[in-house]
Amino acid sequence: MKSTGKPEPTVTIDTSGYAVATEEIRSEAKRLLLEKIVDAVVGYQSGRRKGSAVPVIITDPAQAEQLVFSPACVNNLSIYLTKAKKEIRAKGKLAVVAKGCDLRALAGLMGESQFKREEVVIIGVTCAGVHSAGVQPNEPLTSATIAKKCRECSVHIPEGADLIVGKLPLLPDLTPTEKELLEKLDAMTPGERWEYWKEQFTRCIRCLACRQVCPFCYCEQCLCDRGRPQAVDTSPRPSGNMGWHIVRAMHLAGRCSGCAECERVCPMDIPLNLLNRKMAQELKELYQYEAGLTPQEKGPLTSYDEKDDQSFIK
Amino acid sequence: MAKVITEENLRSLIDLLIKAGKRVIGPKRAGEMTIYEPLASGSELTPGTLPRRSAKEAFFPLSETILSFQKDRDGLKVDDVDTASFPETVLVGALPCDAAAPQVMDAVFSWDYKDEFYLERRRRTTIIGLSCTSADDSCFCTLVGLSPTDTKGSDLFLTPLAGGGYSCEAVTDRGEQLLAGYPELFTEAATVTPIPAAQPEGAPVDLAKVKVWLEEHFEDEIWEEVANRCVGCGACAFLCPACHCFDIVDEGTEQKGSRRKNWDACAFSKFTNHASGHNPRDVQNKRYRNRFMHKFKYYDDKFGKTLCTGCGRCIRYCPVGIDIKGILEEIGKKSLSTKDTKGHEANHHG
Repeated sequence: MKSTGKPEPTVTIDTSGYAVATEEIRSEAKRLLLEKIVDAVVGYQSGRRKGSAVPVIITDPAQAEQLVFSPACVNNLSIYLTKAKKEIRAKGKLAVVAKGCDLRALAGLMGESQFKREEVVIIGVTCAGVHSAGVQPNEPLTSATIAKKCRECSVHIPEGADLIVGKLPLLPDLTPTEKELLEKLDAMTPGERWEYWKEQFTRCIRCLACRQVCPFCYCEQCLCDRGRPQAVDTSPRPSGNMGWHIVRAMHLAGRCSGCAECERVCPMDIPLNLLNRKMAQELKELYQYEAGLTPQEKGPLTSYDEKDDQSFIK
Repeated sequence: MAKVITEENLRSLIDLLIKAGKRVIGPKRAGEMTIYEPLASGSELTPGTLPRRSAKEAFFPLSETILSFQKDRDGLKVDDVDTASFPETVLVGALPCDAAAPQVMDAVFSWDYKDEFYLERRRRTTIIGLSCTSADDSCFCTLVGLSPTDTKGSDLFLTPLAGGGYSCEAVTDRGEQLLAGYPELFTEAATVTPIPAAQPEGAPVDLAKVKVWLEEHFEDEIWEEVANRCVGCGACAFLCPACHCFDIVDEGTEQKGSRRKNWDACAFSKFTNHASGHNPRDVQNKRYRNRFMHKFKYYDDKFGKTLCTGCGRCIRYCPVGIDIKGILEEIGKKSLSTKDTKGHEANHHG
């Protein structure tokens, strides 16, 4: 399904502030490690492929010079702070480089008591956007190569970090392609929508990359891995695939912070973030709630209020 | 003289094969990507770009029934799968990194236990390979002893020509038979000008030396360095043309169901989890070490083959940019300067 918007002329996005961010991340990481304020820093470093950036966990101040920030810094590094990554947490107190979208995940995780604010140092990066999936990492950031989520970003400057690095340029207006897709789905009949998702999920190969990169999929025993009793068929076939993706969407409702990592990493191009956004939209309508805005909030599906809407009970 | 087939005749060949009752699998457009899938007609063939998933599914589907069961008043009835019903298949347009992989996997599927599901499909499949004309920075077939023009694994091998069409080389008797079966589709040409083959960056790695290095560096800081960031998904294994681990599951109800063979991945934390709860590969970097060791040491130990064809899919689609080409190059360099203190030279076979 393509966006309904008219093709826009390609606009280059000014990423000169990323070099500033890189310098500031390096000096801050070095200071934090030298002064033993933290034991490890979770950030990005350059990969072998030209222009690429990959997650890295450094413990030596000398390694701080390897850290970078660029449009290839697509990963949400908050996953390395969850209990799914015990070996990283075992290193001691952590600092983490976080874009605005990533920081919303950190806020959500704190809300779920996964760690306390004082246990982590957050280096917030001002961000004009990162690459879309499948873009060669050395390509410049333009309206054609930018991730869909960045087109509608409202957190270019992270909130709630210990310090903010980088410099925000003038940002071009970009059409919200994902919002348009969502509207197109909303306009479908339930039958058409069912067919649409059935077709998408048929492609799923159950590599579980969507689960493994999700900051909120930190369960030590995933319900969908259970064999006795088995909740969801593990075979990559339509019924089990549908089951898995519905469970995933429901478990993330009111928790997903919109980093869209699940969609970025899907090797089968399933537009998973559309589901996440739909859930978020419902939560906003029903409970006036948005996930990840402030760190210490409890989600509407994990708390109870007598005034909650109960019209669904029939 | 070279045998030549036009693009149009290649598509006609596919149509004729389908008409003759064969299942023809080839690269087919699916949204923004191409996938090896059964073709409904020759017009669907989309050759040249590396499909998102490998061609191993032609022999080793991502999920298949190996038996089905039913329980009623008369008792339990178990039905085996009749492998004789598997369709005669032609895999067309497999790039060298995909065409070469089944030969590598044959060893493990016909080792102590003969996997009839895999082997029967192999027996019934003819592979038409296709020379590769474009490489990106994740490609590394030349590092692991293959090349963009390697005919290994193909029965018939096509090389795209500058003026359109393909020159055809019969690699096996099966390939000869295919040529002989449809003589009207092929012409003879005195000279042909192939489109230049792809040139993946990077120098070949001495895999024998890499193996020696791996033997001596099971415990090494490199595994933490390269794989602490691994998130434990199966994207690498599931896109790989040579990864072949599978899981057997029973699905259905007590009354009716099937036993299935599904792809599995060594990056999954459950992969080596024991019933006791103990997991010998307790953290992610140990799981990645296993993947690398299996490809460049264990498989060679057992079968004398490298379990990697350098397609680069695991690099392109790793969520956290784990780069097997970079790691292989790094270990390749380290292995040159390592003194072989344990005298392993005599043990390995290039």
